[in-house]
Amino acid sequence: MFQSNIKSFLQFSFLILLQAFLLNNINLFGFINPYFYLLFLINYRFDNNPTLLIFIGFMMGLLLDLLSQGAGGHTIAALTIAFLRPYIIRFSFGVNSDIPMGMVKGTSLSNRLLYLGLMVFIHHLILFIVIYFSLKSISIIFKYTFFTTIFSFILLWISFGFFKKRHD
Amino acid sequence: MRQIFNALLKYKNTSLFLGLLFISLLIINQRSYYHKSFFSAIGLGVSSGFYSVSKGIFDYFNLIKINGDLITENNKLKTLELIYFQNQVLKQETLDTFDFEVVGAKIIKNSFNKANNYLIINKGYKDDLINDMGVISTDGIIGIINQVQANHSSVISILHQDIKVNVSFKKNGAYGSLSWPGVHPKKMTLNDISTINSVSIGDTLVSGGMSDYFPFGIPIGVVSKFIKPKTEGYYNIEVDLFSNLTSKEFVYVIKNKALDEIKKLNKDVSK
Repeated sequence: MFQSNIKSFLQFSFLILLQAFLLNNINLFGFINPYFYLLFLINYRFDNNPTLLIFIGFMMGLLLDLLSQGAGGHTIAALTIAFLRPYIIRFSFGVNSDIPMGMVKGTSLSNRLLYLGLMVFIHHLILFIVIYFSLKSISIIFKYTFFTTIFSFILLWISFGFFKKRHD
Repeated sequence: MRQIFNALLKYKNTSLFLGLLFISLLIINQRSYYHKSFFSAIGLGVSSGFYSVSKGIFDYFNLIKINGDLITENNKLKTLELIYFQNQVLKQETLDTFDFEVVGAKIIKNSFNKANNYLIINKGYKDDLINDMGVISTDGIIGIINQVQANHSSVISILHQDIKVNVSFKKNGAYGSLSWPGVHPKKMTLNDISTINSVSIGDTLVSGGMSDYFPFGIPIGVVSKFIKPKTEGYYNIEVDLFSNLTSKEFVYVIKNKALDEIKKLNKDVSK
């Protein structure tokens, strides 16, 4: 238990630093930055305490906003996705939603794709809505959400491949 | 009590989420000017509606005093008109060539007891008001518009610690910036007047022409106290305002017709 907490903490810090100092500066095609820190919120064991995850999501977003001079978009987006996660898990995995490492093993491919896609899309949508925060920029919100979702999704999917290899 | 705790435990995730969301909104309000103005626009919409109802009731009882003020003001304007006629200047021509245009408005909400004060007036973008317009009263300046709704606008009062107004001496034209130290609603401080200019108690100050918001020459106040420091090159001056901002009913919004051009020039220069 203690060891897994330490591991989670290291993963948490590593993801935040990676996001703030490397991934936020990619600017592919001028605006695409993958939001890879979602890995922590997606990969968190399904049977662990959801209340704690809400708090972790909040802290994660807040630290990212402080490090990257954001106003508070990451805070609200990460907090909301941490809150919604149990519902998304139930929606996408159905009866299999009690498998603790459902994202890595024991579930079907389509369920995993649906879960990952929903998590990434909802997070990005909230993030860009908070950042632009006006009806006038609705088209730019959807454009950014769409392209960034694709990029983040691919990156996260590849990284889950590594997890699986280690588990086998 | 037990039931309250049970309900809290049952909805602990939701309540934690809502609590943290509230904190995030506070953070975003603090960190981003863009979001702050969005939130305060909502606040302005609600509070201006509320205040205009309560103000309507109070105004009915103040009508006598307001009529008196209006008669005084009319007399003053009539005199000015006569002076214009005497000088054989065509009035319309003067109005057309003058860079500033005036719109009357009524104060709905006025504050003067905080460190940073705001007013709400009953004209908005339906009357072509925009941000950064100056607001004056019968005997001095009031502030600058900072937010505009359909029928209401909020005005940063000169009794606001962030605002600085360009003023100059009537007698010799030396100019400096007037700001409010945040204590008494009639006492202001005047900075940046160099000691090479002579200053004496009772000198009249008028609005300076360096400002984009106000035309030159609106009387503002008199010097009530000044200190000439030995080491620095600038006076410490205390100014008494002519106008009593705590009892104002009507104001005039000043539209600067040349504001766009001035802003464009400023932008070009700073490039």
